[in-house]
Amino acid sequence: MMEINMIKKYLLKYGTAMLLFLLPLIVSKSIMTVVCSIAGYFIIAGALNSINGYSGQMCFGIAGFYCVGAYTMAILMNTFHISFWIALLPSGIMAAFAGMLVALPTLKLRGMFMAMLTIGFSEVMRMICLNWTSVTGGTMGIKGIKAPLFFGIKTSGASRYYYIYLVTALLFIFCTNRVIHSRIGRAWMAIREDDMAARSLGVSINLYKILNFMYGAFWAGIAGALLAPYKTYIDSSYFTLDEGFNILSMVIIGGQGTLAGPMVGVVIYQLLVEGLRFTGVWRYIGCAVLIIAMMWLRPQGMVGDSDSVLAGNKTVRTGSNLLSNLHWKTPGPIRKLIISVLY
Amino acid sequence: MTSAYFISQLMNGLCLGAIYALIALGVAVIIGIVGFATFTQGEVVMMGAYISFYVFLYGGNHVIPGILGSFIATWVLGMIIYKICYARFLDAPEHISLICTIGFSMLLKNIALIFFGADKKPMLNVIKSINYHFGPITVSNVQLLILGTVLILVLILSFVFTKTDWGIRLKAVSQNREAAALIGIDVEKTAMIGNSIGCALAGAAGTLIGIYYQSCYPTMGATLSMKAFTSATLGGLTSVPFAALGGILIGIIENIGIAFSSASFRDMFSFGFLILMLIFKPTGFARKRSVRA
Repeated sequence: MMEINMIKKYLLKYGTAMLLFLLPLIVSKSIMTVVCSIAGYFIIAGALNSINGYSGQMCFGIAGFYCVGAYTMAILMNTFHISFWIALLPSGIMAAFAGMLVALPTLKLRGMFMAMLTIGFSEVMRMICLNWTSVTGGTMGIKGIKAPLFFGIKTSGASRYYYIYLVTALLFIFCTNRVIHSRIGRAWMAIREDDMAARSLGVSINLYKILNFMYGAFWAGIAGALLAPYKTYIDSSYFTLDEGFNILSMVIIGGQGTLAGPMVGVVIYQLLVEGLRFTGVWRYIGCAVLIIAMMWLRPQGMVGDSDSVLAGNKTVRTGSNLLSNLHWKTPGPIRKLIISVLY
Repeated sequence: MTSAYFISQLMNGLCLGAIYALIALGVAVIIGIVGFATFTQGEVVMMGAYISFYVFLYGGNHVIPGILGSFIATWVLGMIIYKICYARFLDAPEHISLICTIGFSMLLKNIALIFFGADKKPMLNVIKSINYHFGPITVSNVQLLILGTVLILVLILSFVFTKTDWGIRLKAVSQNREAAALIGIDVEKTAMIGNSIGCALAGAAGTLIGIYYQSCYPTMGATLSMKAFTSATLGGLTSVPFAALGGILIGIIENIGIAFSSASFRDMFSFGFLILMLIFKPTGFARKRSVRA
C-alpha cells in the first residue's frame, strides 16, 4: 500500500514538474502571459506571506519593496550596464536592506500602527521614484530594459521569460520551505501565535522580526527585479498602494501562514481577473466581494492554517496552545494535494 | 518668496487642514468607539463628494442641502460598513476587520468607477468666489465657508459628546466596552452609531473638498484616509481634539512644504510626518490611556 502511495506521489510530483516545464510548448502565447503574471505574483505574494503569515506582522506596504527591487534592477541594467544575472542578487539585497530599515522602527509597533507605517513607507518609496527624475526617470519611468541573454538565447517574450519566473518560483518554494521548517521559521510562528510566550521561552523577538522582514523584502525585491526586464518598461504606477492591496488580497484569499496559500490565492485571483475580462470593470467588484466573503466565511483563507490566530481564534495564554500550534495540523484535501506536489 | 505668498499658503493650509481635521475626527471617533481601524474613510469622503455633486446638479447650487445630503447618505453608508466590516468581528483579531475594510474600500472605489465614470466631474461655482482683504491676509468666501462649516460640525459633535444621552453612551463604550455592556448599554448599536458619525463627518468633508477643488473623481479618496490616520496618530488615534489639531497641522505642514519645494512632494510631507510620529511617539500626545501601540 505504501509503495503505491509513493509511486502515486512521485508521479504527481514529477508529472507536475514536467507539465510546468513543457507548458510554453502546449498553450498559446496569450495564456503564457497570464501564466507569467501568476508566477510573478506568486513570488511577491509568497514574500508577503512570509512576513504576514509566518510572523504575524502586518506589512501592508509590500509594494515598496517590490518598487525598490524593480528600480534597482532597472538602474543597474540601464545606467551601469550590468548583466541581469549579476544584478538579480543586489536587487534582492537592496530590498532586504529597505526591509531592515522598515523593521527597525516597527519592532515596538503592532496591529494597525504597523500597517500604517508600512503603508507610509511604501508610498514614500514610490514618491521618491516618482520625483527623483535624474536617477529614476520620474514620471517618464525607465524605458528599454532588455530581457537577459541565457547562454546566447534571448529570453524576451512571455513563453521564454516564463522559464526565469518558473525557476525563481521553484527556488523560492525550496528556500522558504527550508526556512520555515528550521529554527527560524518556528521562531516566526511562535511570535505570531503569542509573542510574549515566545519571548519567555527564549526566542529573541527583535532579531527574528528583523530577519523576517528582511527575508520577505528580499524575495519581494527579486520579484520586482524580475518584473523590470519582463515588462521592459517600469514607472511608479506599477507600485501603487492598490497594487500592494491586490497582492495582500491574493495572500488573504489563498490563506496566510502556509506555502500553498499564496499560490492558490494568486491563481484564483488572476483567473478571476482574466476570466471575468468580458465583464469589463465589474471584475474588480468580483475581487472585492471575494475578499469580504472570504473574511466572513473563512478568515484564514482557502488553504490557511485553521488553528492559529490567523483563523480568528484569540490566543489563550496557556502555553499548551502555543506548542500545539507550532505543528501543522492535518491538512484539508486541497492542501494535501498541493503539499504532495510540492515536497 | 514674498510674505504675501507665504501668508496665502498658510491660509490654504489652514483651510485644507480644517477638512483633514474633519476626516481625522471621523477616524478618531471610529477607532475610539468601534475599536478597529478603517481603510474606507477615503472612499467615504469620495462618496460624500459625489452625492453632493448630484444634489448640486439636480437641486441647484445650495450649500446646505449638499452638505446635509452627503451627511445623511454617508451616515447610512456607515451603517452598511458597520454591518459588513465590524459587526461580526468585534471579538476577532483586528487584522480581519482591517482587511474587510480594505475589501470594502475596493468595492466602493470600483462602484464609483462604474456608476459615476472615471472622469473628473466639475463642481463649478457652487458659491461665487469673492476675495476679502484684511491687511496682508486675503481670504476667499469659500475658505470662510469651509472653516465655518468645520467649526459648526465640531461644535455640534462636542455638544453631542458632552451633553446628550447618546454622547455619554458613546463615551462609555469607547472607554470600556465590557463595563458599558454591564450597565445596560447596547454596545453593538452604540458602536454602529459611532461608526456612522465618523463616516458622516467624512461625507461632509467630501462635500467641502469638492467645493474647494471644484471637482470630484473616484480616486480622490486614495491618500485621504492615510492623511486622516496620520492626523489621528497625534493623539494616539482615539483622542478627538488631538485628531482635529493633527489635521490642521498636517494641512499647514503640507502647504508650507509645497511653498518651499514643489507640489509633487505634497504627500511626502504627510507620510513623512506619519512615519516620524509612529517611530518616535506611537502612543500620541494625549494624556488618556490609548490603544496599545
